[in-house]
This record gives sequence, structure tokens and C-alpha cells, in this order.
Amino acid sequence: MSYFIQYTINGLTAGAFYALVALGYTIVYGIVRLINFAHGDLTMVGAFAGWTILVTFGLGRLPVALAIAIAVAIAMVVTSVINVGILNFAYRPLFNKSLLAILITALGMSVLLQNAALNIFGATIQPYPHLLGSAGVDFGNVRASYTQIVFFSISCALMVALYSFTQFTTIGVAMRALAMDHDAARLMGINVDRVIAVAFVLGAILAAAAGVMIGLYYTQIDFFLGFLVGLRAFTSAVLGGIGNIPGAMAGGLLIGLLESYCAGYLSGRWQDVFVFGVLITVLIVKPTGLFGERVAERM
Amino acid sequence: MVELASFPTLRSRMSAGWRRLSKLPFWAQILIFVAIASLVPISQAIGVSTEYWTSIGVSVLTFAMLGMGLNIVVGYAGLLDLGYAAFFAIGAYTTAVMTVKLGYNFWLSIIPAIAIAGTAGAILGYPTLRLRSDYLAIVTLGFGEIVRIMFTNWDYTDGPNGVWNIPAPLDPWPPSIAGIDLSNQSAFYIIGVGLVLVAIVGAHNLSLSRLGRRWLAVREDEFAAEAVGVPVIRTKLLAYVMGGMWAGLAGAFFASRVSAINPSSFTFQLSAQVLVLIIIGGLGSLGGVLVGATLVVGVPELVRSALPNVQQMRFLVFAVVLILVMLFRPQGIWPHVRGRDAPFVGLEEELEKKEAKREFKVEPAFAPGEPILKVSNLSHRFGGVLAVDDVSFEVYRGEIFSIIGPNGAGKTTVFNCVTGVQRRQRGEVEFNGQSLDRKWLRFRFPLRPHEVVKRGMARTFQGIRLFKQMAVFENVMVGASVRERSWPWQALLHSPSERRDQRRALHEARYWLRFVGLEGVAGRLATQLPYADQRRIEVARALASEPILLLLDEPAAGMNPTEKLDLMNMVKEVRKRGVTVVLIEHDMSVVMSISDRVAVLDQGRLIAEGAPAQIQTNSRVIEAYLGRDEDEEAETAEPGLGARI
Repeated sequence: MSYFIQYTINGLTAGAFYALVALGYTIVYGIVRLINFAHGDLTMVGAFAGWTILVTFGLGRLPVALAIAIAVAIAMVVTSVINVGILNFAYRPLFNKSLLAILITALGMSVLLQNAALNIFGATIQPYPHLLGSAGVDFGNVRASYTQIVFFSISCALMVALYSFTQFTTIGVAMRALAMDHDAARLMGINVDRVIAVAFVLGAILAAAAGVMIGLYYTQIDFFLGFLVGLRAFTSAVLGGIGNIPGAMAGGLLIGLLESYCAGYLSGRWQDVFVFGVLITVLIVKPTGLFGERVAERM
Repeated sequence: MVELASFPTLRSRMSAGWRRLSKLPFWAQILIFVAIASLVPISQAIGVSTEYWTSIGVSVLTFAMLGMGLNIVVGYAGLLDLGYAAFFAIGAYTTAVMTVKLGYNFWLSIIPAIAIAGTAGAILGYPTLRLRSDYLAIVTLGFGEIVRIMFTNWDYTDGPNGVWNIPAPLDPWPPSIAGIDLSNQSAFYIIGVGLVLVAIVGAHNLSLSRLGRRWLAVREDEFAAEAVGVPVIRTKLLAYVMGGMWAGLAGAFFASRVSAINPSSFTFQLSAQVLVLIIIGGLGSLGGVLVGATLVVGVPELVRSALPNVQQMRFLVFAVVLILVMLFRPQGIWPHVRGRDAPFVGLEEELEKKEAKREFKVEPAFAPGEPILKVSNLSHRFGGVLAVDDVSFEVYRGEIFSIIGPNGAGKTTVFNCVTGVQRRQRGEVEFNGQSLDRKWLRFRFPLRPHEVVKRGMARTFQGIRLFKQMAVFENVMVGASVRERSWPWQALLHSPSERRDQRRALHEARYWLRFVGLEGVAGRLATQLPYADQRRIEVARALASEPILLLLDEPAAGMNPTEKLDLMNMVKEVRKRGVTVVLIEHDMSVVMSISDRVAVLDQGRLIAEGAPAQIQTNSRVIEAYLGRDEDEEAETAEPGLGARI
């Protein structure tokens, strides 16, 4: 039983990171029907931006909370700028032309970001500073480290903030309108280009937060990190029903838990097989994902 | 215009070049390919290039084989596949196991490699093909990862270390041809060219077959394809199977060529590269695959040899090139155009004469009161709306039967329930004496739309649903495809009986296009024609399945009076050929002048049925259209309608 609780805690922490990244996939998909393959690598960029601040600029010596806050903030700015740049340069000219062509430029951007990081930071694993100890709360054999508790809380707070943003702000409502019908939204006076840009910024912010937290939590990063995280996050988004915001959150936590249980009870070698197996089974039973809605088609 | 033409841009000159090349006969294109391909080993033999470049050539050929296969899945059938490397891996491991563990030679392992990879395609395809394309992307990606991890954990093939010492195709190796000793890579190169030729010819044959047209139809409009007789699920499944087979071939070749394989060769990156190459080349185009393969393999290698110090730069440059190509040429470098200038040239005159003598039951003697279609107690609910409410009617053999009613009366839903497009919730439909339900124990399974077409019922759509990127005659040939008999393997080999089948289908297409008066534009793309003509193509497509009952959903919508008159004559002509016609129509002049009987729907209910004259004076019908007498507003708003009814 204590193992089970420990796996649950670990799974929820990892799942929260996946959920943050999954939200980026889902927001963008909901609005422009694009699987933004570069999004996972944006997480990696965020992690490296934070690493640069903490290690290269030596901010690691400041009080821990302050150092991390600055690192996260700067990482957010960097990823936002990059993501909007990608949007304007690589995706926007192809809107209304060919979704497949955008998919390919997205793949290209993913390769570009990975190889840019490879050239700048090298192929080796970079150690993240151990700013957070392994202290935590113990219940018998189970330990929830403070890092896990804090990061899980931050992730949840960000998710709630994002959800509120889409529900209660004008631009959030515009975003949801756009997801349903581009033309109608444009006719209602919504500035479509700006809303799309906001969606990309939101995705980038969450990815940067996830990136820095992943770095601090696992204490090592490399240029390939984005692909691995992105794959799981994308899986989460689809599992929850891509385009659906609460679905992405639930999907992320679920994938984190599944992975953790599989690694704990079965074997880490079969982790991915297990996760994808569950995903495929869910999609066969419910083709729109757990929370996705059926898209009606007029005949 | 003249000035523009005299200063052709690089881009337009490039397109024109590809177009000219695409117009050459297929065998000439093959010869050009072989001629260009043979430059590589020749230049090595005379010392202009080195074995290194020949080995790059072998990689290009491997990717070309993969591209040919993925092009079937993505380009023809429109199914996004991000896990294609899995099939490649399965092919490679089959050859590895058969040669190293079981002691067979390379050539004997090719067929099993193809067969097993094809089977894997069916296994992936069967449960997943009902998914929407974006979901398909992640499922295929997951499948690719699962297969790779399984090979990593498979002890028989030594897990992550993989299989070593896979033999070369021939012993002794490298072989010599006519006394000339080949280099190691040149020999692989020559075998590779041979296999690529097999892959190209197979893919080319398929693309021009019934199966190929059905793939395109499914890609363009899955729903319409099903409704004109294409068994969509089976068609998609065959795309995965064929795609898997091509990858199996490539895998066998790859295993023998690198002689040691391990799971890390078959990652998502490889799947992405193959996808990139077919889209850069131009989706659906075989020449494009060759161009794309050359670029995807060639660009990183050129960077490597040009900038030897910056090894890591090559994929960076590759990514930039990729993005730029897509931005400036989203349709790909060598895009595929499906139209054909003169599709019917070369059809034999002999068949032509037979065609002229073709007999139809002109004005068939139908016993009045013999029903061809019997709808009883049909109801259909969308959420809280009862769109069709307990509707029963009969259509008699040989008549023209119209269904009218205000917008939202449930007319199209009746069509959809009859043809199986909507799953019937309640009620029975009997067509030509047989129920359109398959019964098992106490359950009822409505026939799928393509099965209904096979029974002899064809339809058109309210909004035009042609296969846009296909030529007009091909649209009609898809309609005729329900009666073709050839098997996929015959299509692959382009066997004599398949050729006959093709010619027959082409004839059908010509016949029906002539019937609707569009033979002259048969080679154009469907979308290049005006609206009324597109409607007529839909009719020709439906008629090509040789139905005994034709359902037309608002055929006159958007037509001008002359076009309407043509349409009415056409409908009468169709009936003369023994086809019963049911039409939904809003235009009362059309309905009243050609219908034998009319049924009126209002809010899902059948409120009147009878001869046009009876309907015009029926008080419930007038009420449904105009409202009650007290409701003066409605009457003054549309004073003309009463006269038209």
C-alpha cells in the first residue's frame, strides 16, 4: 500500500508537467487545428533558458525562491518570443493553404530547435543546480518531497489560471469562439490573428514553466528532452480529447500515473508500450478521447 | 499577359518543366529515371566520384522505396501515418531473422518480409481506421514506438544490440558483371535500383486502378465515397496493407545492406523523414518521391562534405531548407496533377459499337402499384428534435416520385435513413423486395451505404460532394467501381483481366458523361467546372453504378431556368431507361411538371401524398407552406407562392 501511494505521488508530479505541456498542444489545436510538433521542444528551450540563468549567470546563489522565479520569468519571455516567431514565420503564411504543409514546417521547427540546442549547449547532459533538497513530509515509508508538493501546487495553480482565463476574460471567450467557427468569430469582430498569437504565448508560458520545473525536479536536461516530454504531453492531450482544456489536464495526470504504476509494478522497459496501449484502447472504445466532443458534420 | 509570359519566373519555369516531364509516357519516365540513376555507379567506375557517394545513392534508393509506400498511405488514401518506421523495422527484422537465425538466403526472405509487414499494416489498421485523422496521427506514432520497444526487449534478436552479420544478396560479394568487378556499394546500388523500379511500377499500377481511385475518393470525401459505393473501411485497410508491404521490401533491402540492424535505426525521426520527403516532393506524385528522397538524404550529406568541421550543423541546415521549401512551395516540388487531356482517346472502336447497341428497357411495363421502395414507420431523432416522425410511403417501379416540404421538414434525413448514411433508429425499409436490414438474432444491422449502392440504389447530395482533386471521368469511374471485379493483386500487376475491367469502367464513364452532356470536359478537374455542371457530374456518378432507383437531393438548387429545363429532360430520360427516380426539390415548377406522385413532409410528418394536382389543392399542404388563414402576415409576405403551388 505504501508503494502504491509513493507511485501515486511520483506519478502526479510527472503528470502535472505533462498536463502543462499538453495544454499548449490542446489550445493551439483547438484554434488552428494544428499539431504543433515544435511545442515539446519549446519545453526544452524553456529548460535551457532557465539553466542559463541559474548556472551561467550564477543566479543560483540568490535566495532559492527568488532565483527560480526570475529563471521561470525569463524562460517564459524567451519561449513566448520564440513561439510567436515560429507562428509568424513558419505557420501563418501557410494558414488557409495546406494543413499538411504546416505539419511539415512544424516538424521542421522541432528539428531546428533540437539542433540549435545541440549546437549551442552540446550533446551531453547538462546538470541542473540542486536548488531544492530532498527534504519532505514523511508518512511511514512514503515521502512527498517539498519539491513535489510545491511543483504540483504551482502546476495546478497555472492550470486553474489558464482555465479561468479562457472562461472569464474577453480574449479567452474570443479564443473559445474561434475554436468553434473561424469565420463567424471574424464576423463578430474578433481579431483572429491576435487571438491566435495569444494562444501561442499562453502555450509557451506553460511550456517554459514546465521546462524549468522539469529541470529542477529531474536535475538534468539535454536537447532531446523536449521530444520525450512532448510525446507524452501530446499523448495526454489526445487521451483527454484534443482541443479540450480540462481533458488535457486530466489526460496529463492520467498518463503520469499510468507511467509511474507501470514502472513500479511491471518494468520501466514496457512503460511506453503500456501508455500507448492504454491510449489506443481508449481511442478504439471512445474515438474522441475521454472528454472530447463528437464533431457534427452536416450532410 | 504576353509580357508576363516572356519573363517566366524560375518557379513557373520549374513547374512547366515538371509538367512536361509528367506528360511523357510512363515507360519514358522510367527510362529517364534509369538513365539518371545509372550515372552514379558509372561516375564511380570512371573515377569521378567515390564509393562514399554511391553509398549515399543507396540510402536515397532505400528512402525512395519507403516514400513510395508511405505515399500510398498518405498521398493516395489521405491517412496520416507517423509510425511508418515500424513496418520498415518489421521488414528488416524478418530478413535478419530468416537469414541469420534460420539460414535462408536474402532473396527468399523478401517475400516473407513483404508479407509480414503487410500483415502488420492490417493489424494496425483494423482497430484504428474509424478514428479521425488527427487521432490517427498519435495512434500510428504510438504503434511505431511500441514496435521499436518490442524489438528492443526481444531477447531472440538480442534486444538493443540487434542482429549482426546479415548476409549480402549474393555470394561471392561483391559480384562481377560481364567480367567487371563491382564495388561493394555499386552492387547494392544496382540491386536497389531494381527494387525501386518494382516499387514504382507497383505504385503506378495501383494509382491508376479501381483501388487507386477509391483511395483518392476516400481522401477527398470519405462520406460521399461510402455513399457512391466505396467500402471505405476495407479501402483504407488496403492502403495500410500496401504501405506496409512497400516498407517491408525496403526493410529487407536495408537489413542486407547495412548487415547489422538494431532497434535504434527505426525511430520516430525516420518516420518523420519519410513523411517529409513525400510532402517536399509533392504528395501523391511518384516523381516527387524520388526528388524528395534525393533532397532529404542529399542535403545533410552535402552539408557534411561542404562543412566537415561542423558535423552537428547538418540537420540544422536540413530543417531550414525544409521550412523554406514548404513556405515557398507548399504543394511540393513536383506536385501531382490528376487531370488528363484526352481520357477517352484510344478506347477501341469495337467496344464503342457494342456500346451503341446497348439495350435498355425503354418505358418498362411496370405494373402500377408494384413497389420498389417501401418505407414503413420511419422515425429519427437528433438529440431533442424528432426530425422524422413515423413516416411511411411507397415508391412504385418506374415512377418519378417527389418529396417536398419546408426547410427542416426532414426530407434529407429520410434519404439518409433510407441509404444507410444515418443509422436507422426506428422503422423498416424494403427495397426491391428485400429488407435493407441484416438481422441477427433479435438485432438489426442496417446495411452500410456502399452495400445499399450494390443493391441498386444510388443518390446525389444536397450540397455538391464531388471528389475535388480528381478528374471528372475519374469521379464517374468511382461510381462505376461497384461493378468492377478485379482484385488488388491484379491491380498491382496490371493483369490482362484488370485491364479489361479498367477499359469497361472507362467506357461506362464516357457513356454516362455523354448522357449528361459533359463528355467534352471529362479530363478536367471536377472543381474547374461551373456549378450546374458539377451537379450533372454527380448525377452521372450516381448513374454509373447502374441503379434501379435514383435518389436526387435538390438537383435544381442554384440552377437557372434553362438549366432546370435540361435537368427535367434528363430526369425523364433516366426514367425511360427503367430507373425509378425519387427527388427532393424546392422548385415547384420542376416538381409539379415531372412528378407522377408527390409526398409532402412537414416537421417530420408525412402530411399528404398523391398526384401533383391533388397536392396543389390540399389544404394541409397550403397551410404548411403559408400558415393558416388567420396568419395574414405570412400570406402577404409571399403572395406568389400560392400561385406556384
